[in-house]
Amino acid sequence: MNEQALREALRAAGYIADGGLVTTLWFAQALERALLIEGDAGVGKTAVAGALAAALGRRLIRLQCYEGLDLQQAAYEWNYARQLLAIRLHEHGGGVAESDLFTREYLLERPLLAALTSDAPVVLLIDEVDRADEAFEAYLLEALADWQITIPELGSIRARHVPHVVLTSNGTRELSDALRRRCLYYYLEYPTLEREVAIVRATVPDAAARLIEAAVAFVQNLRREDLQKTPGIAETLDWVRALHKLELKALPEDPETILRTLTCLLKTRDDRFQITPEEVRRLAESPLTGVAARG
Amino acid sequence: MQPRPVEAIAGFAAHLREHGLQVGIAEQQAMVHAALSVQAAESQRLRAGWRSIVCHGAAEWRKYPELFDGYWLPHRPKGNVRTSGATRPRRDLRQLVSDLHTALDAQTRVAGATDAALVLASGAESQPPAERAQGGASRSEPLAERNFSEWLPQDLGRLERIVEAIAQRLRRRLLRRLKNHAHGRRLDVRRTLRASLRTGGEPFFPAWRRPCRERPRLFVLVDVSRSMETYAQLFLRIARAFVGVLDARVFVFHTRLTEVTALLARDSGRVQEKINAVTAGFGGGTRIAASVADFVRGHGRRGLSRSARLLILSDGFDSDPPERLARELAHVKRRGARLYWLHPTRGAPQSEALAACRELIDGFAAVYNLDSLARVRELVE
Repeated sequence: MNEQALREALRAAGYIADGGLVTTLWFAQALERALLIEGDAGVGKTAVAGALAAALGRRLIRLQCYEGLDLQQAAYEWNYARQLLAIRLHEHGGGVAESDLFTREYLLERPLLAALTSDAPVVLLIDEVDRADEAFEAYLLEALADWQITIPELGSIRARHVPHVVLTSNGTRELSDALRRRCLYYYLEYPTLEREVAIVRATVPDAAARLIEAAVAFVQNLRREDLQKTPGIAETLDWVRALHKLELKALPEDPETILRTLTCLLKTRDDRFQITPEEVRRLAESPLTGVAARG
Repeated sequence: MQPRPVEAIAGFAAHLREHGLQVGIAEQQAMVHAALSVQAAESQRLRAGWRSIVCHGAAEWRKYPELFDGYWLPHRPKGNVRTSGATRPRRDLRQLVSDLHTALDAQTRVAGATDAALVLASGAESQPPAERAQGGASRSEPLAERNFSEWLPQDLGRLERIVEAIAQRLRRRLLRRLKNHAHGRRLDVRRTLRASLRTGGEPFFPAWRRPCRERPRLFVLVDVSRSMETYAQLFLRIARAFVGVLDARVFVFHTRLTEVTALLARDSGRVQEKINAVTAGFGGGTRIAASVADFVRGHGRRGLSRSARLLILSDGFDSDPPERLARELAHVKRRGARLYWLHPTRGAPQSEALAACRELIDGFAAVYNLDSLARVRELVE
């Protein structure tokens, strides 16, 4: 699949990517490298993997990282209950050899191993890798560099097909250089006005064009405020959906009315407190300048 | 003369290295692979493709476009990219990709395609880094000697490392409480039994615990008065590093005391604005003693114990009576906390108030540049 086709396929899957991201995804595929995506919460990092899987027609295998994630949940686990059952069953028939107990039959595949041993190529999403601890990160190095996982009892299991790996990070912890250097890197910014309007149009096609443009411009202005939780694309979509449900064709003139719907965008008490009706009026009326430069 | 294509890529890699990006052999090989995977006509795609290969973090990501344009499109305005006086050979990305394909075709006649690319790329490493000093001017700057007031963002990394070193010096207190830990030495019977349920009652997964160790609680008071104007912002930067590394609580004072930990903890570019707003209403002189009293009786009432460390960043010029500061600091000492005072003056501070409470302070250090901050490590425990 060439770059143009990939862009079209992503668009068909509902993800409107900018040029740099499509090129990077294409290179990740061509060079068989994992792609590490960083960026603020809500810019659509996780959605990239979902859209890529849909675009390439591959299965998406997701590994959600969290503190304390270990090999047993990430890569593989021996099915102890089944092994014990096998021992008990064979107790009267002369017992069972140890080598019979450590075979693929007794192995429970978790996302990493499942992605490597899958019959068809898959997209593997390792979400929020910065939440996992360093030991897990070190383990990932083997999987990402050699596309294999070593199980002491069985030996190394090599990938049948190199999976398309997407790692995402929110930057809660600095990732090791070793991991970074094994991945391609992409920093996803908040979308530009035009791209966000296109995203909203694609997702909420029934909403009025004037409403979408005004709402997106408002959110883009709001992102430049010093908020604790800057609203992401999902918040914009929620808000436009809410305004659409209220059967509005444009942003209401009255700041109080807008303020009542801002529960979709402002997610902390401090942020709610900070945005007053006067602020809402200012944000709704101020022209968009310099936003394109950020995106 | 047009350089060989791999040399051109190596030259670009050296250019990136000069600007602080980590571009090793693996990256260069990937760059050659990437260049081979596009056609000459679409060579501009390499701008985005190489970006994902050579950048490993957000700061490098933002720096890259300027570096790329400065190297491959030198006729465009270069912004603040540093350039040497030496004239450069003509650079043409399109020509490079085309040459690379030709070179690969020649190589593939003897070896496999991938090997040929590796051979090409390993040849690219041989170019030595550019000479740094030119005409007596050197690019390396004596960072450590530079005053805080002339700081650049790249020094922040070093600041963080220094603060981490200080954090390591702070002795951890052993507590009686036990905590789950994979390498603990005490068996956690309850969790072990619970985990044995899934293996039919066989305790295959023993769970361990070990005693907790607790870092001392750190409080930082930063003087933001008029006399500290030049240093206050930079002392706040140090305080911010303490918040990041040690979970310190930070207060600013002038004639009153206000907590700013939450503002510093958030990576917001407007922290300074907010601090200005917080301190804007303050007027008159510096009331260090009153602020310390405020801290001891208010915010510090709970946390100020034997395991606490109080760091005051101030020049010590106080408009309260000098003996009052000694009285208030004695309160801090009575709680068992250790007290360190960092001041910006190179010599001994002239403040009368400080002279009066010299013996109450456990450590006293002048901090005016990074080297002097590094010496604080020897002071604390």
